[in-house]
Amino acid sequence: MSTTIPRRERPKQPAKAAKPGTPATSQTAYGRHSQRWLAWIFLAPTILGMGLFTLVPIAASVVLAFFRWDIISAPTFVGFDNFAEVVQDPTVRVSFLNTIAFVIVAVALQLGLALALAVMVQEKMPAWLRTFFRSAFFFPLILSAASVSIFMRYLFNEQFGVVNWFLSLAGIPAVPWLTTPGGSAAVVILVYVWQNFGFSFLLFIGGLASIPVETYEAAALDGATGWRKHVYVTLPLLSPTTLLASVMAIISALQVFDQTYVLTRGGPGDSTRTAVMVIFESAFQRLEFGEASAIGVILTLIIMAITAAQFRLSKRFVFYQ
Amino acid sequence: MTGATTGRLREITRRTALGALGAGIVGATVASWPRLSGSDIPGRGDNSLSIAIMGTAADAAARQRAIDAFTRLHPDIRVKVQAIQAVDWKDFFTKILTMVAAGTPPDVVYVATEGAQLFADKLAHPLDEYLRRDAADMAEFFADVHPSLVEAFMYKGSLFQLPMDWNAANMYYNTTAFAQAGLERPADDWTHVDFRNSLAAMRKARPTDFTPYYWTNRLFGGVVPWLYANDTSFLKETRSTGGDWLWDSFYANDPSRNLRSGGYQWLEPNADDPRVFETFDYLRGLVKDGLGVRPEEGGGSSLVGLFASNRIGTTPAGGYWVQGLHEAGMKENDYDVAFFPKWRSQRHQFGTAGYAIMKTAKDKDAAWEWIKFSASREAMELIFPNPVTTPARRSMVNEALYSGKGPAHWKVFYDTLDKYPTTGPIPAPPQQAAVETALMKNVSLAVSGDERQLKQALESMQRDLELALRRQS
Repeated sequence: MSTTIPRRERPKQPAKAAKPGTPATSQTAYGRHSQRWLAWIFLAPTILGMGLFTLVPIAASVVLAFFRWDIISAPTFVGFDNFAEVVQDPTVRVSFLNTIAFVIVAVALQLGLALALAVMVQEKMPAWLRTFFRSAFFFPLILSAASVSIFMRYLFNEQFGVVNWFLSLAGIPAVPWLTTPGGSAAVVILVYVWQNFGFSFLLFIGGLASIPVETYEAAALDGATGWRKHVYVTLPLLSPTTLLASVMAIISALQVFDQTYVLTRGGPGDSTRTAVMVIFESAFQRLEFGEASAIGVILTLIIMAITAAQFRLSKRFVFYQ
Repeated sequence: MTGATTGRLREITRRTALGALGAGIVGATVASWPRLSGSDIPGRGDNSLSIAIMGTAADAAARQRAIDAFTRLHPDIRVKVQAIQAVDWKDFFTKILTMVAAGTPPDVVYVATEGAQLFADKLAHPLDEYLRRDAADMAEFFADVHPSLVEAFMYKGSLFQLPMDWNAANMYYNTTAFAQAGLERPADDWTHVDFRNSLAAMRKARPTDFTPYYWTNRLFGGVVPWLYANDTSFLKETRSTGGDWLWDSFYANDPSRNLRSGGYQWLEPNADDPRVFETFDYLRGLVKDGLGVRPEEGGGSSLVGLFASNRIGTTPAGGYWVQGLHEAGMKENDYDVAFFPKWRSQRHQFGTAGYAIMKTAKDKDAAWEWIKFSASREAMELIFPNPVTTPARRSMVNEALYSGKGPAHWKVFYDTLDKYPTTGPIPAPPQQAAVETALMKNVSLAVSGDERQLKQALESMQRDLELALRRQS
């Protein structure tokens, strides 16, 4: 038996503005006018916030990239000099390469781990345990990255850290986690992924929940079970979520700073120096605000390019039901 | 009242709810306006003398007794101390610079050697005219303060700060670890070879869960004391002319008068000096042989606890450690302090701190009165009642300050300056932040690998320093 719920008719909009003297209702031009104002009033805080704290700084940063400025003296116009210096600076080059390497490894690990755990939690766990793991995996994300990094510095201390103490129980000699290029990069990635995979995990949980059970049942009838079920059903139907998760993870990873600054200060050498760290050092330690802005502009362009490429490629790999 | 008469709660319309929300937002904004506009920051918006120090609100409160004493002396000058929390001095200077950029700089800033030349070059007002004017009042202060500390605050012939406290990189050692290794107290002129032998003996006595030499990767107490001991540095050190007006006025009879100048200058990198290589190679050897750790990044905040729990044999630090070790449970005989080991020289490294008047200060005369008062014995005793640092006044580094806390040889602290008058400040040109970054980022690599890696790290340091010094010259 089907029930038809009568749809509420939308009031027809008057074709022309009402004549003066017509009672003001929501259907009149006056009403539309007032609604528009109301809309603007509600939007105003966001527009103001976006404008003042996002668009103006971005514009200021772009302008500043063409000046030499140390906060104290008056800014001097230098044209593209800052960009030229930045491009030639080996530290900046290394930091961008580090950032890209970091993004590749950290994002792959973050998404891989989040997807694997999401599938496991969603499929194998009872409801109460699922709730527990959702909270547990998301929990690191609400902690301050700086505090976490300070704590991790103690854990990974070569001489007195808990991690090396555990390794020593298995007869493994102390690993110089934070004082060798390989070790420090590994710790930074580990800490970053541990703290951030919870967000992707939640996205995947949401994505998995939205896949209709019927699709799996149909696939099972066709003989797709286990691994094949995930490859031919889950992954394709999860592709919009994967796109969103990867875009957000890449943008976030390109801006990594707290972990590298607190854990390793970019060292040893330049091994964990990242693009945002170089921006911070140029601006607030060397007082080269123009140069810092130039690096910021380049990083923004890179983020925009990568995001645009992801959306372009998504046309091939993303499947909507 | 409709609601009351009908006995029903009046229905809250969406418009009413939004209105209430709007009123709430406006109310909250008005109530928090002082915080939003920053007008609740001490000294802002009134004619108080605002003084910025690095520390916590508790540190600011600790200065209150000194402020009260100052106010009794100068009831017309209102003083407000603003404590700025920062990880290290570099971080603190960054925050001061942002205040300058925001147009709300403090009038007086407590600045350590790390930032002395940055402030002198760009932000601070020289004290020369005030010192000339109040020479008679200031004679007693200079007679009690070692000229090396004063010279550290000279920049191009002018004096920008009066030293209030300071610390040299002396060598702390754990007496229990020394005793376990059969070691006696080191001689005053022990050498870098003696030091290495001591580390080897400690390592032999305690092969696990113990580090004979622990050090941090930073400008103070890192590689620099070793470079100084080997009569070199990673920057070429020169002196500027001028400053005779001060030395002839206050230190005319000091035996080290001829050593004094218009201030230190670090204009060129020196990481390619063979002695720099030799020094790094020595430290690399300590790391390689398990006698010392690869230097830890950051301020070494974990060090006091580790040292107090007898897991560290030796580490370089100044008098600022005494109170911390005492609070961590170390008895006065559990540890001691010695001079830094000798190499080609026994020149030590020190850092000092004092107040600088900002160029933008509203009332520079009032600022000077605060500085002059802070330099008095009365004020310094109020500010430094515990050995959380070494007071700049020689007479205050006494038995009473270290009583019940140690170390037994506390005289080492001030003797470092008296016995080794060439002892020099932290190499900190106006580009200190960039220089420190260049140093730190290469130190770990230099001491952690083979000889080839050491050479590469020093070449990289030389390049980075060239860039750092060129950028803002």
